[in-house]
Amino acid sequence: MPTNAGSPSPQEAFRSTLARRVGQPPDAWAVAEVSLVLWRRIAAQLAPVIGVRGVDALFGRALHLASREYPWLAQPLADEPRADPMASGCGRLQVRDGTAALEAAMALLGTFTDLLATLIGTTLCERLLAPVAEAEHAS
Amino acid sequence: MNDKVLIHRLATGVPGLDSILGGGLPEFSFNLITGPPGSGKTTLAHQLMFALAGPDRPALFFTMLGEPPLKVLRYQQQFAFYDPDRINAGIRYVNLGEEAATGRFDQVLAGIMQAVEASSPALVFVDSFLSIMPGPGAPSAQALDAHQFIQQLGVLLSSWRITSFLIGEWSSEREPHPIASIADGLLNLSQSVYRNAMVRKLQVLKLRGQASSPGIHTFRITGEGLQVFPATAPSGPAGVAAALPELGQRLAMGIPGLDAMLGGGLPAGYSLLVAGPSGSGKTLLATAFLAEGVRRGEPGILVAFEQTPSQSWDPTIHRLVESGQLGLINTRLLDLSIDEIVQQLTDLIRRMRATRVVIDSLSGFELAVAPTFREDFREQLFRMVSVLAGLGVTVLMTSELEDRYTDLRFSSYGSAFLTDAIIVQRYIEVGSCLKRVLAVVKVRASAHSDELHQYAISDLGILIGGPMPDYEGLLGGHPTHKPEIDDRMAELPDGRR
Repeated sequence: MPTNAGSPSPQEAFRSTLARRVGQPPDAWAVAEVSLVLWRRIAAQLAPVIGVRGVDALFGRALHLASREYPWLAQPLADEPRADPMASGCGRLQVRDGTAALEAAMALLGTFTDLLATLIGTTLCERLLAPVAEAEHAS
Repeated sequence: MNDKVLIHRLATGVPGLDSILGGGLPEFSFNLITGPPGSGKTTLAHQLMFALAGPDRPALFFTMLGEPPLKVLRYQQQFAFYDPDRINAGIRYVNLGEEAATGRFDQVLAGIMQAVEASSPALVFVDSFLSIMPGPGAPSAQALDAHQFIQQLGVLLSSWRITSFLIGEWSSEREPHPIASIADGLLNLSQSVYRNAMVRKLQVLKLRGQASSPGIHTFRITGEGLQVFPATAPSGPAGVAAALPELGQRLAMGIPGLDAMLGGGLPAGYSLLVAGPSGSGKTLLATAFLAEGVRRGEPGILVAFEQTPSQSWDPTIHRLVESGQLGLINTRLLDLSIDEIVQQLTDLIRRMRATRVVIDSLSGFELAVAPTFREDFREQLFRMVSVLAGLGVTVLMTSELEDRYTDLRFSSYGSAFLTDAIIVQRYIEVGSCLKRVLAVVKVRASAHSDELHQYAISDLGILIGGPMPDYEGLLGGHPTHKPEIDDRMAELPDGRR
């Protein structure tokens, strides 16, 4: 996604947050936790606009698309909270190798923002996700 | 001291709508926008929101169970008025899908009020309020709840000094919904499909405290959003001051001899019908009228309905249009309303300060009008001519007239009575040759020639010859020569006969 002058795109901000907070080498548990926090913030920002169901539907589609490269993202774990798709998705990260989990987490976020941008346009997508991206950038 | 409250009227930003509403939308009013799916409710709501919202007037757009919000965002962005940079900066969406899904009005109301209290908006849109409401046939206890919900919502939004719009699929033709009595304003959108043309219509069914324009108004949705064409009253469109021509002023027709036949030119402000068969030179006469106007500093407008203008238009028209001396409205649409043409014409007349208008031809016009309006074509034509007369312009209309040698008719639209002057053109046979004759049939309240004149069409345009007193039965198509009178045919100005 193109970047607005002076501020990183939401995708860049999310990647940067993940990269900074999951340790080096990446820790799969940290990847899952940081990812879930990010997803919760994204959902909180988008749900008032497109509805909880809208967010869930987009997340489900992003998960499906990202699982082409990371098939295990679509494979439910035995004890995951099925009613909470974001918690389930992030839970699948923590049982993986740290590097693979980080790549998959980034791919999932990227797919989600790309998907949103194709539906409502880059400008509005960035506009809606800007508060999350700015908060992440500042932290 | 004047204790009366003054209601501030908001400009809606929808071309044509403010005049229908009687000057704009009352501030703090509680309005319903209703209509069937696809009638343009959500688009109208968004257009209003982007026009009305601003830094001092934030807007909240509540979405519920109707159209998925993602789709609303996606499709509304296609309109020019939609500025994504204003989302979350003066304009905020709030989805109440979860609350609406419970079917409990108190939860929906609480959700709305929570968002209202949090952001103190000046504008609130609820799309769609009927998705959570039972219809009129629902059990009375539930309907009462729904009624109370809307009533409470109306009271709350008004007391918060909010101008609000509830959007819903509700047809005014159905049993009146109780909420219609609560609302201050009720705009109903509809669309009718007849044959292969679709016409969109808007009606202000109610607007408290101001004189809105009754009747059904047509509108069109383009990339710019909605554009409303107020139904024109014979007195003329609102906001257009009539620049009536001076009494006694006459317009030159640009064809030597014709002014004399009309009694000294066409009286300014008159409507003239030029009727004749195909190829008789109606367009040529109209072109001369416009070109003469340009020559005299009287701007004109040509309203044409030609499908292939480049092939059929006179080079003079091309030149005048290209140089900006002549206004042109050429429409190839086949779903027009007369109000749309009147609106375009009115705008152009004002912009160009035009005094001459040519409508070429009524046959093309009738084809361009949506089939649903064709039944009223005559009435609409009357309204249009009245509006143009109110604007003080002089109108020339051409009408294709099949040559009938058994009766004398001037128009197939019965439009002869609504014009002030009529020129009729005809073919006659003289000595196995097809000749053309014309006559001035009528010039209201003016002396005019009553003679049939032969005329010819040359590279110079229409050349009118003298009268033909030595022939009779010309209108029957087969004139007979009267040998006792001078047997010379009227000689044309260029020496031809």
